Amino acid sequence: MKLLKMLPFLSTALVGLAWFGAPAHAYALQDDEAEAEDEEAEDEDESDAWYAIVGGDVYTGTGAVLRGATVLSKNGKIKEIGHDLFLPEGTEKLDARGMRVYPGLVALSASSRLTKGLFQAEPEPDFDPHLGVDNLHPDGRANAHLDTGNEEYDEVADIPTDADVLVEGQLLRQEIADSFDPFSQYLVLALSTGITTAEQSDTPVKLKRDEIKDVDMGPKNVYSLNFSLSNPNSRRQTREKLEKASDYLRRMKAWEAEGDKDKKEPSKKGVDMNYVRVLRGEVFAAFNANDREELLDIAHLAQRYRFRPVINGCMEGWTVASELGRAGAYAIVTPRTRSPKSEELVRPGGSSIENAAILHSHGVQVAVIPGNTSFELNGMTGRDLLHLPVEAGFAIRGGLDERAALDSITTIPARILGVDHRVGTLEAGKDMDAIITDGDLLHYQTFVQYTVVDGKLVYDKEEEIFFAHIRPRPELPALDPGEEPGEAEAVVDEEAPADEDAEEEAPPESEDDDEGEGADDQGAGEDDDGRL
Amino acid sequence: MVRPTRFLQLVLACLAPAASAQAPGAAGGPGLALRTSKALICAPDADARQVQDHAWITVKDGKIEAVTSVHDGGPPEGYEVLDVGSNWVMPGIVELHCHEGGTYDINDLVYLANPGLRANSAVINRNDRLLRGLAAGVTTVLFIPGSGANIGGAGVLFKTGPKRYEEALVREAGSLKLAQWGNPESWTIGVGMSFENWNTRNTFRRGLAYAKRWDDFEAGRGPEPRFDPQWQLFRRIATGEVPISTHTQVYQVVLMTITMIKIELGLNVFLDHSTIGGWLAGGLAQEYGVPAIVGPRSVDPATRGMIEWARNGHEGFRGVAAGYQEMGLEQIGFNTDSPVLPQEGLPLQAAMGVRYGFRDDRLQAVRGLTVVPAMTAGVADRIGSLTPGADADMIVISGHPADPRSHVELSFIDGERSYEPDVEGRIY
Repeated sequence: MKLLKMLPFLSTALVGLAWFGAPAHAYALQDDEAEAEDEEAEDEDESDAWYAIVGGDVYTGTGAVLRGATVLSKNGKIKEIGHDLFLPEGTEKLDARGMRVYPGLVALSASSRLTKGLFQAEPEPDFDPHLGVDNLHPDGRANAHLDTGNEEYDEVADIPTDADVLVEGQLLRQEIADSFDPFSQYLVLALSTGITTAEQSDTPVKLKRDEIKDVDMGPKNVYSLNFSLSNPNSRRQTREKLEKASDYLRRMKAWEAEGDKDKKEPSKKGVDMNYVRVLRGEVFAAFNANDREELLDIAHLAQRYRFRPVINGCMEGWTVASELGRAGAYAIVTPRTRSPKSEELVRPGGSSIENAAILHSHGVQVAVIPGNTSFELNGMTGRDLLHLPVEAGFAIRGGLDERAALDSITTIPARILGVDHRVGTLEAGKDMDAIITDGDLLHYQTFVQYTVVDGKLVYDKEEEIFFAHIRPRPELPALDPGEEPGEAEAVVDEEAPADEDAEEEAPPESEDDDEGEGADDQGAGEDDDGRL
Repeated sequence: MVRPTRFLQLVLACLAPAASAQAPGAAGGPGLALRTSKALICAPDADARQVQDHAWITVKDGKIEAVTSVHDGGPPEGYEVLDVGSNWVMPGIVELHCHEGGTYDINDLVYLANPGLRANSAVINRNDRLLRGLAAGVTTVLFIPGSGANIGGAGVLFKTGPKRYEEALVREAGSLKLAQWGNPESWTIGVGMSFENWNTRNTFRRGLAYAKRWDDFEAGRGPEPRFDPQWQLFRRIATGEVPISTHTQVYQVVLMTITMIKIELGLNVFLDHSTIGGWLAGGLAQEYGVPAIVGPRSVDPATRGMIEWARNGHEGFRGVAAGYQEMGLEQIGFNTDSPVLPQEGLPLQAAMGVRYGFRDDRLQAVRGLTVVPAMTAGVADRIGSLTPGADADMIVISGHPADPRSHVELSFIDGERSYEPDVEGRIY
């Protein structure tokens, strides 16, 4: 029986016939058969966690929209998205009929309260953990100048420097895993908004609930450079370091081309390896810049040294969008930024509601963050992390298309954090981080009904105190978990005579038909992205 | 690109400045007929027709003439036609709690009660902040004194677009600002709520006595009183023409506002802010006809401190507008308390109201931005709706005004174009 159920999988692996009549326990064949079969054997493992979001309109974030489709995951990774999927026995099902399924949102620059909980004080916006003191000690410890002579005390009192964090790659990550509060109410609020990945102290963090395993998604992906007009000294240093790093890479390339192992490797003396990593494309160079002249300078710098800048703020970006586009820039913008242009200037300037749209139309990759990247709990709503999709809505107001607006809070921030291979869209192989909403994500009235992280349900609107009382979710006729999917659907057909349900839960059709349907759906999805 | 007709208008405007005063729809000019896919009429009577799909809106001499279905025939002969396509047309949005109408020196903290102070001396017409509001559809604001003192003075009701004060003015005494709880009790050494309530009663009684002396004199029942600018406003408050806009919040204080100002003193009053559990008094507000203009808070959030303060026993994010609605109050509007929230954020206040549970099945959100505040301020005959005879303050908008994704394409004030993004650039 079990084997019969496996048939759809097997047929896709083109080994269905070979398997027919094979021993009941697939893992018995593990050693003898081809690799594909190996995989099938794995599928049989009783300890595998299968999770399926069933029957929703799936907005994959790649452009495709599949109506009434199923997203199936295994052990937290998406296995398959489509219609009439075979769901292995024991698959946990989430009924998403009549709702929409989107990838989990990715929040840049999010408040550290989110993972550190209620008792973590909000740091001052300009707080510098090094207290404005550069490394004075040859060992690179930031506050070595405060040494008391008591080694034990000095070690405890030490603060890791940026360089420690980046080069060692461990210090800060260790800290996040240690300080992550998986029971934080702020975490639940983030999940209620649909945020499943957040930037915490420059590193990507998976918002897991009730567990801390694998919350740390990797090292920091950006290195901050200062190229501010108000700080000529930093500008000079940045340029010098880039020049030296560029020179080092040239010498390195020549040395490698020569292939003479006896010859000494080029010297790293005076070379800041962080800049080398920027030039190698291993990390992004991040800037804080709003002023048009600064943005132009950054664009020119990026083109000269061939790196991709991530520009936070980018308020006057709309006035130099083509230069930023040519430099391959990323921009992190807040569409509602409100700053009039200086009256002394004749040229265009100041903030513009059209900023995101203009940048996007020139090829800049635009990510959106709200004006307040924490949680506003004083009663004023609509401009904090709880309303991240609303902020993307304001980008649409300025002319950004709806698809790019969804990207601006999912896949583009994921790229900036270096985790777009795992999150940001719904695709086979990526993490099963999905949100189920009761309508268009970018509509102000829409609530997230469920949030799934790594194939586990971590938020259910009806089960939390925050929003359950607002427009309670109507009950759907049950998707019978005990039945085969086909049979369950048949039951639903009988119980829910409504046209929509009948259409969604139509009995399985042949594969060819399905593909045709999928293509139609995509077309419809494009239309849908227009406006509502 | 400048379309030929617009270009011609610009040329005409350059050649003869007087020509702009004769623009179609404006006072003295030919009629203007807007064709729209949806006209949100927002009639004061909630049971009257609120929406006309595929409509002609005719405007003459700065006033709305009629809103009719396109199926009932075209506009009158000689009217300039403007087809706004799929855009909607609605009345200009009305803000009843604005501090961005001019300079910010609107808190006189020498005395606890300043009924003679007037915000109109601080107005800067069509300033940058108002212009951003206009770009979001806000055409009228009630610019009021701050809540630093118990009685802050008179607000002024004026339109955001016109450059001259006289053209912009709707009513010079828009409201008298009263502040209960939340700021004035901290005045100098902190007078506390008991003294505040005594002071409010005392001031109002003296003011009403002044009004009565003048009424008696005019009716030939008494001697001529001495003119006193500090109390003069009470003559118009006593008739109900000028409402009391009350900074009030927390259930008990909202109760005090209703019982003292409305029930005891019998004055025209509305609840301003009225958040932090104030909605629990919504039933009483409905019984006595006291509207609530809620904001800038739109929810009582789920924090322990807020729950204990609000005493509303609710651990979720409780929508304020939704709460009043649930208690049966019909007249519910929205405010921003700009610059606490920016002036252009007013439509979003309605969106947040709806998000957190306010029913919008009978255009309540749009009414709460337009005709409800207009009725509350006692000027619904002039602004807040597209009813015949009202000022032609209209906005052409790409969708539902509460939706952040909708943007204003064009604004009219008194039938004249007041914000034209395709000429002056998008502001918001």
